[in-house]
Amino acid sequence: MNKGGLILIVGSLLSSTAAFVWLIWRMEGRGSGPAKKLAPGQLSDEAAEDVEHIFNDEFREELRNRGRLHFEKVIGESAMFLQQDLRETTAQLNDYMRSELTRTLQAEFKKYEQSIADAKQIALGSIEKTITTIEQQRQLMEQQLAAQNNANKERAIKQFEQDMASIVNHYVIKAIGNQIDLSDQLEYILAELEANKQAIIEDVRNGTA
Amino acid sequence: MAQLKLPSTVVSRADAMRLLREINSLDDFFAGAAARKGGTPLQPPKTTKMLDQLGEINGLNLLDADSRKTLYEQLETLSRQAPSLHLSFANEPSPKAVEPILLWLREQIHPNCLVQTGVAPAIAAGCILRTPNKVFDMSMRVHLQKQAHFLNELIAGAINGR
Repeated sequence: MNKGGLILIVGSLLSSTAAFVWLIWRMEGRGSGPAKKLAPGQLSDEAAEDVEHIFNDEFREELRNRGRLHFEKVIGESAMFLQQDLRETTAQLNDYMRSELTRTLQAEFKKYEQSIADAKQIALGSIEKTITTIEQQRQLMEQQLAAQNNANKERAIKQFEQDMASIVNHYVIKAIGNQIDLSDQLEYILAELEANKQAIIEDVRNGTA
Repeated sequence: MAQLKLPSTVVSRADAMRLLREINSLDDFFAGAAARKGGTPLQPPKTTKMLDQLGEINGLNLLDADSRKTLYEQLETLSRQAPSLHLSFANEPSPKAVEPILLWLREQIHPNCLVQTGVAPAIAAGCILRTPNKVFDMSMRVHLQKQAHFLNELIAGAINGR
């Protein structure tokens, strides 16, 4: 309820009270016209009687009804004003709340968006750093692997060159095994004996001396 | 004393020892025959082809005690003094296969060479000759090892596309 509504209600109450007081005063004033010269006691009695005349039960009831009606009217108007004012205040309050909430929410959303953007930026930066590191590691590893691979290759080739002859020899020996008949080897054996003849003779002589 | 001629059937020192035992048994037989009573059945021992050949090529009659004694003494000397060589082959050699080698050794190295044979499967082919102080590896294994550089050259050539 705003201040204007309150003033209006108080004003209405005051005006009705003033009207009621004026009415009573007026009624009292009418009875105070040129009076017969009566004894004070008699005058009082007559006044009381006139008052009883004027303010009889019907008149009082009438006044009471009017006052009630007026009071109800004032109260109804005041209630109406109060309701209207209350509605306006509620609407204003709603608007205010809505606008405040909207503003606050927008501010919060803006902060939230900013935070998200910052976090995103940080995350992107971190990811970029990680990618860069991984790429460096990958290149380093690639170089190391290539070097290791080359070293292994060279070692394997060297080993191959060194061992190939003995591997082939071993294979040939295993493959032919005992398949060659001794009589087929005689020519080779006799040739070898002939080649070593002098050394054999010398050793036999030395050995049997 | 003339040097004993050995037939190709006498190959190793074990053969010489076997001949000695055979001559001993012949001597025993003849000693027994001399001491037997007349009319007692007599079963002469069978001599081996090796002993027969040995007596034949040396012109000795094995029925004669002196000849047997001479042969015995020469064989004993032979078993002590003859150069003994060891030959290893990839598989067990037949006497026929060993004979040419033995003949070559007796012609070219020493007339009384005795040979002991053995088996060494790892050599594949050829032989290994062990004299008293040396080893002559005449196997295919060594031959291939000697040719290793040539094999390497061939492999390198094949790899390089030459």
